[in-house]
Amino acid sequence: METPRDDQLAADLKALRPTPRPEFTAELDERAAAGFPRRSRLPRLSFGPLRTFPPRRLALAGGAFALFAIVVASTLVVANQGGSEPQSNLALLEPKPEPATPSPEPPDKAAAAGSAGAPQESSGVQYEAEIPLADSEASSAAGFAGGAASATAAPELDSPSRVHRRAVERSAEIVLAAEPGDVGEDSSEVFEVVHAHDGIVMSSSSREGKPGRAGARFELLLPSDDLGDSLAALSEIDEVRSRHEATTDITAPTVDTAELLRDSNARIDSLLAQLEAAETEGEREAVEAELRQERRHRARLRGSLQQLEHRASYSRVLLLIETGAKEESGTGGGTWGVDDALGDAGQILAVAAAVTVVGLAILGPVALIALLAWLTHRAWVRRERRRVLS
Amino acid sequence: MDSDSSRSKGMEQALVAEAKDAPRAGDLAFDRLYRSSRDDVYAYVASLLRDAPAAEEVTAAAFERAYRKRHRFDPERGEPRAWLFGIARNAALDELRRRGRQAELTAEPEDLHARAFDEATEHSERRLAVSAALERLEPGERELIALKFFAGLENLEIAQVLGIGESNAGTRLHRAMTKLREACDGDA
Repeated sequence: METPRDDQLAADLKALRPTPRPEFTAELDERAAAGFPRRSRLPRLSFGPLRTFPPRRLALAGGAFALFAIVVASTLVVANQGGSEPQSNLALLEPKPEPATPSPEPPDKAAAAGSAGAPQESSGVQYEAEIPLADSEASSAAGFAGGAASATAAPELDSPSRVHRRAVERSAEIVLAAEPGDVGEDSSEVFEVVHAHDGIVMSSSSREGKPGRAGARFELLLPSDDLGDSLAALSEIDEVRSRHEATTDITAPTVDTAELLRDSNARIDSLLAQLEAAETEGEREAVEAELRQERRHRARLRGSLQQLEHRASYSRVLLLIETGAKEESGTGGGTWGVDDALGDAGQILAVAAAVTVVGLAILGPVALIALLAWLTHRAWVRRERRRVLS
Repeated sequence: MDSDSSRSKGMEQALVAEAKDAPRAGDLAFDRLYRSSRDDVYAYVASLLRDAPAAEEVTAAAFERAYRKRHRFDPERGEPRAWLFGIARNAALDELRRRGRQAELTAEPEDLHARAFDEATEHSERRLAVSAALERLEPGERELIALKFFAGLENLEIAQVLGIGESNAGTRLHRAMTKLREACDGDA
């Protein structure tokens, strides 16, 4: 037999082409006309409606769903925040937490304070209970006489060995409702009440205008031992729209500072004794240097203690006089403006970002593992397919 | 053949382009692709599997799979027929893998071409020799010849199905044909 030419070989190969059975082609044509219904033996989850969507539309739908989930979660978080901790102006009045180390004072003042020498400290700190300290000297050294103490609460033990009195800082917020024409008169009465109760007006502002715009704002310091009467007097000026009171226990920083002050006084006494006994000039100079440093330290402690006393002796009161319909009292004088809107928007965005980050932190690793598994499976399948024909 | 193929190819591209516009047009385009490729896909799959019932099963599965994925076809990534034969190839290889038929690829085949043989032997002893020579080729070489002469694909389409370059496909096909001719010479 002759070797086939190229065209002959091609013709022979085409002649050898497998052809399907007519029955098979007829059956396949029917299935094609029916849209190739599945012939799987096992029932499968029906994703028919999803399959009709192109992948891009599915991605868009998924993105929209994720966005919706973030919005819902953010709304829930913001709502919970608003419900659990209603924003109050009292927070604005509260001083910053007392630092563990007292703030420094000018050296000249410290020296002047140190020169007094005697460990007698004035105190107007409010104590709800007066309990003897385990160390009797501590009580006298710190001067916890509590002259203006309210001393209303029962004794309370901080620890088995050490017992202290509680120092409490108070603050309050009163919102009065007034007619626009009464704002000036009400403001005058506020001053009268404050002066009558030996209080201090730290700041005040008033605004005239239409209902909702006119109003006044007062930041007051009122003696804590007379706070109840003061608030009652302020409440009688006009209709009380809202009233809040809050307390902060500052016993711990007060006691700590007092104990440090007592130690400092003892140290100064000791140094004075050493100075008296010093025989040489060198010894005297060294003791004097140490004495100066310790007196500065004592001055700082004394200043801190005075600050704490002041916080306990005087209560911060925010008084707002509003006009018009009732609104949430805020820093902007009770009206919800552009600043508030921007603030709310920022808060919502921050929460949304946090929710997104948390969601990604959860879904990211899972998606990464799934992606790696899919890629590994795909590579394995490809390798196996190549191996079949190799 | 070439003119028919190019005409068919142009029509399929136009129809697949329509498929992007409307689902109904896409179904119509796929139906035309199916009708123009049904026998070719079967011939190619049968040449890989060398088992007529399995070839029918895999051919049906390949069309079903292609129909489900018809929205994913990207004309920029290749010809419609190449895309379809790629799916058919994967289905056939998966079937071979599943059935562990790698060894059988090199064994004596089932009498797949019985009907063709009957006719061929009646008309030409040469065709019998070509068939025997074809069975002695490597599976990969036989696949190339099947894609070219059974499925009627162009070299570019063959390259897209196999994931290789067009020139590489042409070179491999030339080598396979040379080997087939030499095998025929050996029979002669």
